[in-house]
Amino acid sequence: MPANPILICRDCDTVYRAVPLQRGDVALCRRCDAVLARYFAASVESGLALVCAAAIFFAIANLTPILSIDIAGIETKANIWFAVRSLQQGWISVAAFGLALTTFIIPAVQIALLFWVLLFARIGHRPPGFGPIMRLLHRTRPWSMTEVFLLGALVAIVKLANWVPITAGAGIWAIAALTIVLAVLGRCDPASWWSIAPAVMT
Amino acid sequence: MTALRQSLELGLVLCRTCGLAASRASLDADWRCPRCRSRIEHRTPFSTEKTLAWLIAGIVFYIPANLLPVMHTSGLMGEADSTILGGIFEFWRSGDWDIALLIFIASVAVPFTKFIAIGLLLLSVRNNSRWQQHQRTALYRIVEFIGYWSMLDVIVVALTSALMQFQVLGTAEPRAGIAFFCAVVVVTMLSALSFDPRLIWDRRA
Repeated sequence: MPANPILICRDCDTVYRAVPLQRGDVALCRRCDAVLARYFAASVESGLALVCAAAIFFAIANLTPILSIDIAGIETKANIWFAVRSLQQGWISVAAFGLALTTFIIPAVQIALLFWVLLFARIGHRPPGFGPIMRLLHRTRPWSMTEVFLLGALVAIVKLANWVPITAGAGIWAIAALTIVLAVLGRCDPASWWSIAPAVMT
Repeated sequence: MTALRQSLELGLVLCRTCGLAASRASLDADWRCPRCRSRIEHRTPFSTEKTLAWLIAGIVFYIPANLLPVMHTSGLMGEADSTILGGIFEFWRSGDWDIALLIFIASVAVPFTKFIAIGLLLLSVRNNSRWQQHQRTALYRIVEFIGYWSMLDVIVVALTSALMQFQVLGTAEPRAGIAFFCAVVVVTMLSALSFDPRLIWDRRA
């Protein structure tokens, strides 16, 4: 039984009656080709496991260096927070704020909120603050830029490797893993979480 | 094949936050979603006005973002200010054409694509056009998808400045251009998010 008996296209407002989807199925809008629904297999348990994995990778990415340079015994390191700090200069700090928000604060808040919601769903309770949390998750979705940070780190390696001995630390692998886990979680639109345990949520 | 109909014709409205198709009759006076309690808007209010305002802000910020230096380097090879275009040119000359291309796409091609695409969407919606509705909706989705990749240069400058701290041998510091560039990314994303693609399909008398 589909979670939403009626689907409405977000991009052109066309109304459809939902049909059951098989594994791998994607329901597309007949008029504008927007994705209406995907086959959604994630259970509360697997969602919770993914969120825990994301939290661990996020911690590693921020506790170990992503990049480091060693010249004659002098070593410099960089991770997300160091990158943010380096932009803190007079009014340029607005860029530091933007970077902190998109690569640190928003991913951290999203992981924490999803953990909260799924934890309560797991023990069969409606999560306190569920409505506001779902709205916040929906609003912050476009602003998480972990994958862009990964690409930026790779570009920085190639850029600096001509001049200085630069090495990638454990953090870059953690960022790569975090990108994948967040992508899997991101495919599950917050809307899909409503369908996991309708009895609990409503 | 049954006729395709829009939500309000069938007495329904979509909650964009949680995806619920709510019956219009079930809504209370302030149109709160019965499931997630967020406000339901049949169409984003002042969509085209907001989109245009953010778009103009983006184009304005894009000028200093390109004219002002984004980074200042000093070291054994002297001092230098570099701009975004200058940086791309440097990579190209030193043989790193792939990195040059990547930064060109993220910092020049993507913002320009967004300016032109959003402008086109606004113009066609304003004219109540039936032209290529399908392709225009696809264009909107492309703009939405490519939006945040422009942050690339901000991240590269930040990482380079964090790493290059070797007093005599070489240091790098961010400059004002990067703040403007960050602003371009944010306001063009706000512009794209303000645009309601359903306007492409609406028929107004």
